[in-house]
Amino acid sequence: MPEKIKLMDWIREHLFNVVPMSIAVIDRDFNLVYANKPFEEKFGKWKGKKCFSVYKSSTTMCLNCKGAEAFQDGKPRVNEEIGFDKSGKLTKYIKHTMPVVDSDGSIPFLVEMATDITEASIIKKEYQLLFDQVPCSILVIDRNFRIVRTNKKIRETFGDLTGKYCYSSLKGFNDKCLECTARDTFSDGEMHTGNHVWRTKDGEDIHSHVSTVPLFKEDGTFDMVMEMAVDITHTLELEDELKIAYSFMETMIATAIDGIIAIDIEGDIIIFNKAARDIFNIHDKRKMTKIELEVLLPEGFMAQVLLGPGHVYLPEAYVKTIDDDKKPVRLSGNKIEFGDGKSGMAFSIQDLRELKRLESEKLEAERMAAVGQTVAGLAHGVKNLITGLEGGMYMMNSGMKKGDVDRIQKGLEMLDRNILRVSTFVKEFLNFSKGRKIKVGECEPGKIARDVVELYASQAGKFSVELICETDDNIMPALMDGEGIHECLTNLVGNAIDACRMSDNQGGNHVWVKTHEKDDVIVYEVVDDGCGMDYEVKKKVFTNFFTTKGLGGTGIGLLTTKKIVQEHGGKIELQSEEGKGTTFRIRLPRNRLPKPESIDI
Amino acid sequence: MIIDDEPDIRTYLMAILEDNGFSVCTVLDNTEVKKGVLSEKPDLIILDIMMPQRSGISIYKELRTCSALNAIPVALISGMMPEKDFIEKEFPALVDDKSVSPPDGYIEKPVQVEKLVALVTQLVEERG
Repeated sequence: MPEKIKLMDWIREHLFNVVPMSIAVIDRDFNLVYANKPFEEKFGKWKGKKCFSVYKSSTTMCLNCKGAEAFQDGKPRVNEEIGFDKSGKLTKYIKHTMPVVDSDGSIPFLVEMATDITEASIIKKEYQLLFDQVPCSILVIDRNFRIVRTNKKIRETFGDLTGKYCYSSLKGFNDKCLECTARDTFSDGEMHTGNHVWRTKDGEDIHSHVSTVPLFKEDGTFDMVMEMAVDITHTLELEDELKIAYSFMETMIATAIDGIIAIDIEGDIIIFNKAARDIFNIHDKRKMTKIELEVLLPEGFMAQVLLGPGHVYLPEAYVKTIDDDKKPVRLSGNKIEFGDGKSGMAFSIQDLRELKRLESEKLEAERMAAVGQTVAGLAHGVKNLITGLEGGMYMMNSGMKKGDVDRIQKGLEMLDRNILRVSTFVKEFLNFSKGRKIKVGECEPGKIARDVVELYASQAGKFSVELICETDDNIMPALMDGEGIHECLTNLVGNAIDACRMSDNQGGNHVWVKTHEKDDVIVYEVVDDGCGMDYEVKKKVFTNFFTTKGLGGTGIGLLTTKKIVQEHGGKIELQSEEGKGTTFRIRLPRNRLPKPESIDI
Repeated sequence: MIIDDEPDIRTYLMAILEDNGFSVCTVLDNTEVKKGVLSEKPDLIILDIMMPQRSGISIYKELRTCSALNAIPVALISGMMPEKDFIEKEFPALVDDKSVSPPDGYIEKPVQVEKLVALVTQLVEERG
């Protein structure tokens, strides 16, 4: 049977060498007497060597040698072994040991077949590591909802649950859950997800997002489901906090006293609170568009916010309402960058009507207080006038008794003079107490100063006072009550000339009227080198009907000046030194100047 | 001696006092008061409080702190308030110095002729 012989040859010569496992034959002295090619490839040269020296690179026999056992009892066995391959690398293999039993029952040889499982055991180890260390809880459940396996995270949180029902051990239920992703997976073999609340052994609730997948076997059936759960407790807490923060913010925006408007990247208005609706007189629930809003805001404001440095603040501006009215507001616009050059906008709008009303009430109250103060001081002025009149009467009467014509003449002059003063006094007082509504228009600050200097030129010349005008030509026009400022300067220049007249070195005095602007503040200075004031005078200068000019003045001038300066949002300061001179300085910051009653938006 | 910047008042007061037998002088430049007083050596000074350039209070302080002058009686004159208010409240506030003694007399505007004459007579007689 040549075919049979050929087959046997092939089996002997080739099969041994092509099977994917190492095969070796050892004798009773553990000498390797035969080995196939895969063996040689794995463990190296073997001829004339002991098995332990080849498998384990050892010089002595192994403890628990399975080969020795097989020589003893003649039974085949399978076990896992660890050895070293020909390059000394640790290798793990499953070894089948089969005794070759002779016809007399003796066992001269063992056939050992080794399958390398190094790779498989690494994978198994990795799988176990993954199973245990993955940051989620994993359990395997059988069709009875008994837990078959759990990973480390489950064991740490719940203890050992193996063999227990999932619903009782994870939730404390006596029966299966009404909604169960594992059951869904068991019924259709698909993956299912859901949320569950698990209770730990410490009684703490864990919110879990659960996915269940079938564990298919080779034949396509499955008896177990793997359940993987991610702890979303913290996420839910954050979500809750976010919800609270959001609703807090929403309430804040809704109830804010100032109007708040926000526009998103798409140009949609996403916030338009009640205060904003009130400002624009939007009394229905209509949705506003960006284009509609742009028309209501000051012209170019939105573009300024979007194209500028990102923040635009208008302390005083006007917006239109939808019914074409207008309102004074304080307006702030902010660009909100979202990256990629995309941006939204947020606006804050403060209705200034109430503030304006309070301001004008305050101004009125201040004026009334000044009037009150003035009335108190009025007595003083009147007393001086009466004294003058009485003096005139006395001179007249005593002159007549004595037949002294000179005295009568003097008395008449005194009467005349004081009657004139009474009428001036009354006129000025009425003018002051009535109050004058300021008329705002565009003025050239320097021109007002030049006008006043021109007006006083001849009077100054009469008293040999040199009146000098120093005006910075670069001051831009400003919105002011030109007449009011003119009146202020008139008062101050008049006073300065008087101070020069009262000075010791009469004849060589100067009055400077200076105008300049620094840091958006327009400054007027009236400086004289006249008599100056002492402490008592300075203290009273701006108070009531204080005058140092005896019957020559009413004491109203500086009070009026201060009032006008205040109405321009400015301040008036005084520096004076007895015998050296006086400086009055009016400071008018541009951003506080009054706004005209009507303005084009 | 009358120190008042207002000519009408000065004329009036001088006329009253001259008519009642006093001899009256004045200092026109109130920065030169000390010099004037030293040269005139008056028996009484009537001093207005509210004056330009230099107030009566500052002159009063000077008179009171100068040993050569502080024996001369001084009456202050003002239209600001009645005598009681002035001596009790306004004067201490204006002077702001407790070492300065209050004036020997106070005349309120408008001037009552009899009162003025009586006060001047009394103060001059007291001085002897």
